[in-house]
Amino acid sequence: MNRINRRVLLGAMSAAVLAGSAGLAMAAGEIRVLNWQGYGTDEAFATEAFEKKTGVKVVHDYFTSEQEMLTKLRTNPGAYDVVLINSAFTGQAKAEGLIAKIDTSDMPNVKDLAPSMGQNPDLVPGGDVYGVAWTWGATALAVNKDKVTPLPTSLALLWDPQYAGKVSIRDDGVEAIQFAALALGQDMNDIKDLEAVKAKLKALMPQIKTFWSSENDWNQFFSAGDFTVSTFWSGGAGRSITKGLPVAFVVPQEGAVGWLDSLAIPATSKNQDAARAFINWMIDPEFYVQWAAKGAPSSANAKANAALPDSDFNKQAFADPAVVARVHFMKPLSDETRKAYTELWQDVKTAQ
Amino acid sequence: MAQATSRRDALRAGVLLAPAYLWLTVAVFLPLSAMLFFSFLSAAPFTSANWHVTGLNYAEFLTRSIYPDLLGRSLLLAAIVTLACVLIGYPCAYVLARQVKGRAREALFLLIILPFWSNSLVRIFSWAIVLRGNGIIDHTLGALLPFVSVNLMFSYTAVVIGLVHSYLPYVILTSYLALQAIDESILEAARSLGAPFRTILFRLLLPLSLQGLAAGAVLIFVPVAGSFMEPRILGGKHGIFYGTLIEDQFVATFNWPLGAALSFILLAVVLVILAAASPILKRAR
Amino acid sequence: MSQPRGISRVLGRGYVGLVLFFLYAPILVMALMSFNASEFYAFPLSFTLDWYRRLWGNAGIVASAWRSLWIAVATTAIATVLGTAAALALFRYEFRGKRLLQALLFPPIAIPWLIIGTAMLIFFFWVGIGRGTPAVILGHVALALPYVIVVVAARLQTFDPQLEEAARSLGAGQWVVTRDVTLPWIASGVVAGALFAFAVSFDQFVVSYFLAQPGDATLPVVIYTAIRKGFTPEINAISTIIIAVSMAVMLAASRFFKFGGER
Repeated sequence: MNRINRRVLLGAMSAAVLAGSAGLAMAAGEIRVLNWQGYGTDEAFATEAFEKKTGVKVVHDYFTSEQEMLTKLRTNPGAYDVVLINSAFTGQAKAEGLIAKIDTSDMPNVKDLAPSMGQNPDLVPGGDVYGVAWTWGATALAVNKDKVTPLPTSLALLWDPQYAGKVSIRDDGVEAIQFAALALGQDMNDIKDLEAVKAKLKALMPQIKTFWSSENDWNQFFSAGDFTVSTFWSGGAGRSITKGLPVAFVVPQEGAVGWLDSLAIPATSKNQDAARAFINWMIDPEFYVQWAAKGAPSSANAKANAALPDSDFNKQAFADPAVVARVHFMKPLSDETRKAYTELWQDVKTAQ
Repeated sequence: MAQATSRRDALRAGVLLAPAYLWLTVAVFLPLSAMLFFSFLSAAPFTSANWHVTGLNYAEFLTRSIYPDLLGRSLLLAAIVTLACVLIGYPCAYVLARQVKGRAREALFLLIILPFWSNSLVRIFSWAIVLRGNGIIDHTLGALLPFVSVNLMFSYTAVVIGLVHSYLPYVILTSYLALQAIDESILEAARSLGAPFRTILFRLLLPLSLQGLAAGAVLIFVPVAGSFMEPRILGGKHGIFYGTLIEDQFVATFNWPLGAALSFILLAVVLVILAAASPILKRAR
Repeated sequence: MSQPRGISRVLGRGYVGLVLFFLYAPILVMALMSFNASEFYAFPLSFTLDWYRRLWGNAGIVASAWRSLWIAVATTAIATVLGTAAALALFRYEFRGKRLLQALLFPPIAIPWLIIGTAMLIFFFWVGIGRGTPAVILGHVALALPYVIVVVAARLQTFDPQLEEAARSLGAGQWVVTRDVTLPWIASGVVAGALFAFAVSFDQFVVSYFLAQPGDATLPVVIYTAIRKGFTPEINAISTIIIAVSMAVMLAASRFFKFGGER
């Protein structure tokens, strides 16, 4: 009964959208990209070069959280041709029928992807490509190198009383729990003892000065001296260093939280050929080297990384294979687990 | 009033009301009705194959103590901010309405609202620059009184300062509109009878301008109870409020039904508080 | 005038000055930082005009500011007219359901905008309104209306209905009464309502964000989405220009129009 109702509802909804989006009908020579703002695809040099090569114009729309990205895909069928999806969310998007299988036969750069990225089972379930691995990075420790000497090697730094009131982490329940799990030596993708994690986070609260939630917060709070020890994204740390902040980025011995971002094509895209061409361009070494000079995460394309100058932040940070091995990539979470994590995090924050 | 005119009145009222309320219906009431419907579902209809009607989202408010606790915290914050705005704003409105005359008054009237044509996020980050240790207040005070260091950032105080700043103009302007309408001859009469200012304030000014003051207070109390942006940035780890919990359901977990239920509980509580306060206001007149 | 009242006048003006200083403190900081070389808004200040120069070359942010401006002007015009009409009806007439209509003004204010924005996105999608500038204005006006109605109603509370009666008994029609008696009395309330409506629209993020077409971002959307990578003082520069221009326009307007409710 419910199932049928839902079909009817969805059918009515898509009919309404077709009627409503007539005004949205776009020129064939245009693709629409849904991404975080300022995250590679909207670099002016890249879209201009793509337009020159193919005659296809690139228009952007942005999201500010993964949940919102899914909402925009659900409620705007046909509006987007390329979407950035974190590999931990690819499975959910596929299960909802939001993204299409990608035929990579006419995308020459795909063969250069590092196998661990390009063939990631979350992106390529059963051998079908639902997301082309694009960039990856780690959320690890970033400290003020003028004030923290010698450089730390352990996550225990966050709990070090010496830095009480000088610590920050991102206001994100899942990530906070994963860090506590790593610090406790648990598998962050399969946490067995959630009570221990909760106790560990409670012990962290008095250390914390504030939470950060965006790169803007991080840079402003850091440069004002609000905190000296924090978690941070590798890409963000690279950009902060480029801009002259005294930041040192460390992947601690316990490990770091890794993320792999992919570019996918919405099932309702009407311009999939151009979308594939654009994604191919996005993993092209020529594009990546230019982007990296402005501060980019690591590319999933092995050739692109190899083409970087040796002074590149990512190249240095992840030069040692042992460091890369310590990066644990985020696995998908069920709705129930996500809810449980969010509630645990709310409890910890409120109880302080 | 005669029956015939009252029917004509009803027609006139309808003509004046229809455009605004039709607009609100299409753009707000119907969308919110959809949300109200979601709040009684087990899952958002977009995502899960199996959703059914349930009251569990509302029950969850009572079973997890964090919800009522933080709702209380948010209502207290709203009350503090409203009170502070009234105490700061009413005297200002009084001066503006009763002591300033002519063009200067027009100019001041505009100057009071102008800061709110700037972006709220930019304003919040500007407050951060003012309030933090090593910030502007700290530097200024440090120059006058060495050895004194002030760091108000990431505290409850910072949240209150930011919110009072954002909402102060409402109470100033609505009180001004009411105070300015009071006939000077009434006040003159009271003064000439030797009434002290305190009597004039409590017997004449306040009762005659209470409607305006109350309108301003409501426009502050209601949105502050659900705020989450100022608390999160200025409050740091102390910035956890009810609005944050609602935001989490839309941003961190994909649980619109719960987020919607929490919002409607907030709305219901706020309406009950306003309804309870309205007889007090009436009696005071 | 007696001595104590003279003193209270000085005190009064000093107090208004203090309140204005509080209201403008973050605005001054915002302007100051638009001339500061540090990208992270850090001290010490070092003067530069670079951010203004860069803003000049940033077509996207300037276009978004213009778009926000005209959407806010349209919203203000529509919301002020509709809101004033509704406030008049609520003030003049007694009818069943009036309390309900008044209570219905609160949901748009009380429900956090994030939820309203999401609700609008879904509902507009369901009924086929879709996204685009008409949808954005539809949403902005709806959010501004309650403010206009409440503020104008607050002013109407001070209005003596007998004035309307008197005018009518002199043979004036309803429209003439409204135009010549009621509207002049509540003009200051209408102006205040319009100023709030403009502020609501000009700073509205969520609705524009969900309902604008891709590529048609308004200024608040540009600012909020920029927070992920970090603001640059270019944002302060354009905000400073907007405030400075508005201030000039308003102060000029206050020389030529009377709306402060002078009697």
